[in-house]
Amino acid sequence: MKDFMMIFIGADYQELGLSPEQLQERMGKWFTWNEKMAAQGIVKGGDALVPTVKRVIGKDRTVSDGPFADSKELIGGYYIVSAESAAAVVEIAQDYPDYDLGGTVEIREVMVFNK
Amino acid sequence: MQHKIIDHLFRHHYGKMVAILTRFFGLAHIETIEDAVQDTFIKATLQWRNQRPDNPEAWLTKVAKNRTIDLLRSLKSEKNRHQQVSAGTVSIPISDLFLDHEIEDSQLRMIFVACHPSLKPQEQIAFALKTISGFSTKEIAAALLTREDAITKRLQRARAAIVANNIQFEFPAPHELQIRLTRVMEVIYLTFNEGFHSTNADNLIREDLCGEAIRLSKLLLKKEKFRSGSMYALFALMCFHAARLESKTNSDNEIVDIRNQDRNKWHVPMIELAKNALTKSAEYKDVSIYHFEATIAFEHVKAVTFEDTNWNIILHCYNKLYEIQPSDFALLNKAIVTIQLNKLNDAKDILESIKYDKLGQRQYLYYGCYAEYYAKMGAMPAAIAFYEKAITKTSNALEKAYLLKKKNLLQASN
Repeated sequence: MKDFMMIFIGADYQELGLSPEQLQERMGKWFTWNEKMAAQGIVKGGDALVPTVKRVIGKDRTVSDGPFADSKELIGGYYIVSAESAAAVVEIAQDYPDYDLGGTVEIREVMVFNK
Repeated sequence: MQHKIIDHLFRHHYGKMVAILTRFFGLAHIETIEDAVQDTFIKATLQWRNQRPDNPEAWLTKVAKNRTIDLLRSLKSEKNRHQQVSAGTVSIPISDLFLDHEIEDSQLRMIFVACHPSLKPQEQIAFALKTISGFSTKEIAAALLTREDAITKRLQRARAAIVANNIQFEFPAPHELQIRLTRVMEVIYLTFNEGFHSTNADNLIREDLCGEAIRLSKLLLKKEKFRSGSMYALFALMCFHAARLESKTNSDNEIVDIRNQDRNKWHVPMIELAKNALTKSAEYKDVSIYHFEATIAFEHVKAVTFEDTNWNIILHCYNKLYEIQPSDFALLNKAIVTIQLNKLNDAKDILESIKYDKLGQRQYLYYGCYAEYYAKMGAMPAAIAFYEKAITKTSNALEKAYLLKKKNLLQASN
């Protein structure tokens, strides 16, 4: 088994102006997904991220505050899951609830060095 | 075991929180308050992804309290910069505001604000749906079949009117109460009708509008001072209609008229609720259009089959309605019932007295009624011609399909 990070990009609820009703509906879908993964024992962790961004860039360590140009690229959260392969994580990611809001799931394998 | 989160919890809690915070900070801050409450729900949504609280309602209430304190702080520091900002308009402690009866009290005040005469009718409905019922501008636009920017403007105008007229977050003075309640009932009735009579393709939106109208009238009926025959009759009327909301369209989303609705699918508990309210409405002295409309709705649900419908009582009610509120639309209803009673000469007289241009978007019903009249007379070419005319008079795809179906049936039977 390997560890993978599923990174959720875009679909910022605040910016999309979702109504309380829609938020509740979204929450239910996320909860169902999380419950499914938990039942299979594959989730190792994960969080949602606050959308305020600070960036430190370059050798001068220039600090800049968001919001940055394209919120479609904003990372909204992540899960770390354990799976056989990236293909298996692609399967898991089928249930990500926010594709219809323009969201993206990026799957990255966590690097492990052989001892 | 996790708590199941009840339907519409967020939507209803939104209205509660906005009402409580407004009671505390005053209507001048309503925009700030609504933004803060919206933000709370976004945070809850993200936080609850992985771990749902044991008691979501208590959790939300706690967050609302913290939010009140945060807001108080930020408004106070704002006040230091701009002296004119006022905060704190209520003399009871914050924690008391979150007691159930105080929450209801705050929500009721908000209903009277939404229906304040300084707001135009369209603004009243938009404001009520946003602030009391927690709809987004997009949802309001979809519900009212209007563009989103039009709703945004209505909401802005409503808020501006509240500030300009210095409207207070209070109940109307006793001498104004009856007239203000009349307007409240009209707004609830209009909201319900938007849901019930709309040909919105989205069934959920229709149910939501009807549900909200019923919820608000229920809230008002809880308080003795707001009870009246009219309020009970309005509640009864809406429940009778709501009981057959689902039967109004079939699984292909085609309109099913009352003649062809599956009467077994009508919602019996809702009908019982309505009957009780209708009985109660007779215990008061006041009489309103809602009494007669509720009686008509009752006659419809009472009939075991369409053929059993007591059209005489219904005609009597339409006559009364016309006496209280003469309109061409009331005449049209009378004509429709008269045709059912086979009083075709009367029907023709009524139809001829209607100024059809006054019917606006509902003109197609007038031509549809003529078509039925001619069909009963056995004058099929005229009936078909009127159906065709009716079809050209509605832009709604569902209505068009319905009329076309009736026309085709008529043609096939000849």
